[in-house]
Amino acid sequence: MKVLTAAVAGLALFTFANVQAAYPDRPIKMIVPWAAGGDTDNIFRPFAPALQKALGGTTVVIANIGGASGTVGAREAKGSPADGYTLYAVHDYIHLTYYTGMSDVSYADFEPVCLIAATPSILTASPKTKWNTMKEMVADAKANPGQISVGATLGSTSHFFPAMVEKAAGIKFKYISYDGLAQRMNAILGGHIDLTDGNLTQKGKVDAAQLKFLAIATEKRSPELPNVPTLKELGYNVIYSVSRGLLAPKGTPADVLSKLEGACGQAAKDPTFAESMRKQGTDVHYLDHKGYAEFLKQNDALNKDLSRDLGLLKR
Amino acid sequence: MFDLLLAGIENVLHLKYLVPLFLGTLVGLIGGALPGVTITMTIIIVLPFTFGLDPLQGLATMTGVYVGGSAGGAITAALIGIPGTPSAITTTFDGFPMTQKGQPGRAIWLGIWSSCFGGLLAGIFLIGATGPLAAIALEFGPWEYFSLFVFALSMVAGLTEGSLLKGLLAGVIGLAITIVGSDPIMSVPRFTLGTEFLRNGFPFLPVLIGIFAFAQLMTDIEKMKGSEHAAAPIKAPPLTVSHLSVLWEIFSRPFLLAWSTLVGILIGVLPAIGGSAATVMAYDQAKKFSKHPERFGKGNPEGIIASEASCNANVGGSLVTIMAFGIPGDAVTAVMLGAMTIHGIQSGPLFVSQHPQIAYGIYAAYLLAHPLMVLICAFGARLFLRVVTVPKSMLIPNVLVLCVIGAFALNNIMEDVVVLLLFGLVGYALVKARFPLAPLILGLILGDQIEVNLLRAIMSDANPWLFITRPISGFLLALSVASVLFALWQHRRQKGRTREVDQEPDF
Repeated sequence: MKVLTAAVAGLALFTFANVQAAYPDRPIKMIVPWAAGGDTDNIFRPFAPALQKALGGTTVVIANIGGASGTVGAREAKGSPADGYTLYAVHDYIHLTYYTGMSDVSYADFEPVCLIAATPSILTASPKTKWNTMKEMVADAKANPGQISVGATLGSTSHFFPAMVEKAAGIKFKYISYDGLAQRMNAILGGHIDLTDGNLTQKGKVDAAQLKFLAIATEKRSPELPNVPTLKELGYNVIYSVSRGLLAPKGTPADVLSKLEGACGQAAKDPTFAESMRKQGTDVHYLDHKGYAEFLKQNDALNKDLSRDLGLLKR
Repeated sequence: MFDLLLAGIENVLHLKYLVPLFLGTLVGLIGGALPGVTITMTIIIVLPFTFGLDPLQGLATMTGVYVGGSAGGAITAALIGIPGTPSAITTTFDGFPMTQKGQPGRAIWLGIWSSCFGGLLAGIFLIGATGPLAAIALEFGPWEYFSLFVFALSMVAGLTEGSLLKGLLAGVIGLAITIVGSDPIMSVPRFTLGTEFLRNGFPFLPVLIGIFAFAQLMTDIEKMKGSEHAAAPIKAPPLTVSHLSVLWEIFSRPFLLAWSTLVGILIGVLPAIGGSAATVMAYDQAKKFSKHPERFGKGNPEGIIASEASCNANVGGSLVTIMAFGIPGDAVTAVMLGAMTIHGIQSGPLFVSQHPQIAYGIYAAYLLAHPLMVLICAFGARLFLRVVTVPKSMLIPNVLVLCVIGAFALNNIMEDVVVLLLFGLVGYALVKARFPLAPLILGLILGDQIEVNLLRAIMSDANPWLFITRPISGFLLALSVASVLFALWQHRRQKGRTREVDQEPDF
């Protein structure tokens, strides 16, 4: 019993003792607002150890807080103390969920830390579908409007990308809510949905004939996927990629922010991180605090227009 | 596959993982051995303390607690005739008489070795079966998942002791708790009373700790009243034993060992049945198959072997279901599943192929926990007996403090502690009104998933008949109906036999 009491006391001390030391002196929580194994998780998971190294060994723990199109994690991040011990792994969805009325959290509720990566979207089909090319899919969609099911995080990037394809090709899909790529993968492999917004993180499954890539939303074909046509060359003018960065709650002290920004820049250059991004078909695209703030502002306006174009704008 | 397993074992043998595994097993053994502290409670209390660890470290700890806890119950059961955990109840039937005959060493070591072998055999199954089961799980669409969850809930409500109606109601209460907060698809706030805190719903662990741990500890305090010293003056009995003869006793009954293990695995794999059912069923079967059923209950080694082998085999079986389907078997596995989620693991059909390192790490931790458990018992069995005799008046306040620290440590906010206290009261009231808590916890865990899959099914196709006409889904729903009817029939039969029996709350 004494041991137990001592353990409790020790633990209490461990938790409360050095609150006032220099930043960072305790583990930093990085909120990923989707399930583990999704694309955002796949990108920030190798980034966390690089950031950890750049911060002099301070542990960076990933907390996957999924649900409701990533808005649960967003809200959690917004409500966290602005002390630099909570970071928020974010992508373009933050603008979209705001404009589609899914969430009242906007990018302006946070301080930008840095942008780290951009991943182009690829229209991905289930192995159980009968089409092998984009053309066959579009023909099928025209013959059976509203029958092809698309798994998407509603109101987020994975909803917008297929919606852009819909508009460009003049077809109609049916959307089913699957939050995050991890869940969509379970569903598409089992053939419970026909199409989804995928990316190069899923290349392994395509090589194993478990998935089909129909077309990629880049300007030019990706060197990793020379056989996958771009939407543009097929005559659908859709260029789309998802940019991922780190935010901190509004009010995080400037010295903490600059420390994080520095570490982030260093981590983005980490060769192990770069290698794992290359494997996932993601460009390391670093922007510092100022650059990212500018990017967010432009991107926000862009996404507002996009929401309006697609008829999804709610505010 | 076996090279992955070997790599997993090699990985877990590093001190970085071995130490958490060892500590987990030790804490599990102690928690399992302490009467009144269930495995569920031990796991709930340990979980918040693993947050800072990397996923495999955390999961190795939790696996250790699970394995250790399942074996630890045997020690108390055999030595003082009180099951340390509910699933060890059948071990008391023969273990305690054996102790009374002056063979306490034989009794507990029969239990510990049987646990070890039952668990290891189940481990082999665990590794072989996860892949094929995951392939089946991939075929499960939203309809099938919805029906599977409904089946799990109706099973657990039907199988609990006491009133079926209260079992079902408890499940509904669990589901209702999950309604609070933003809806899981469109993020519309529900019953949040305008507060930011409730936007994300009631935090899972504080609710769990409150309902389970707090409520049970409160009832324990109530029961104490002055009678607590009745069990206290236990002299440490001699535990000397010839391990060879105990091992011979087990291995000379290979059929019994294999059959009990199989029963344990099967009950474990089926969602929502749980450890107590496994041991009771294995014990019952052992008695039926035995040439001398009259010896059961009087210190028959076969009773101990059947009970303990199935108890730990059940752990392996339920780990399969968690990893392949992401569905908890009972309250313990529900918390294990929560632990995986908290450590960033999305269990499900793709888990093993996407995270082989962690999956095989868990397998390895599961296998290694068994020899560790035997090792700890070899050194510590006598000490455990001391722990068991700690007066509850000292034990309970300490566990209560741990509960509160655990809840606070989650996010370092006081709201979580308030939720803990609130649900502690709710749980206490429910226990008082003789509601079983297992269906409530399952409802709490499955609530979001049921809702999401129901909505997905409807979004995919508006035809509601698909729930019945899709074969797997229809079959599962039919099973749900059957399980409720079966429970009704069983309750009626029981009522005919026994009148009012004073039932313990089902944990």
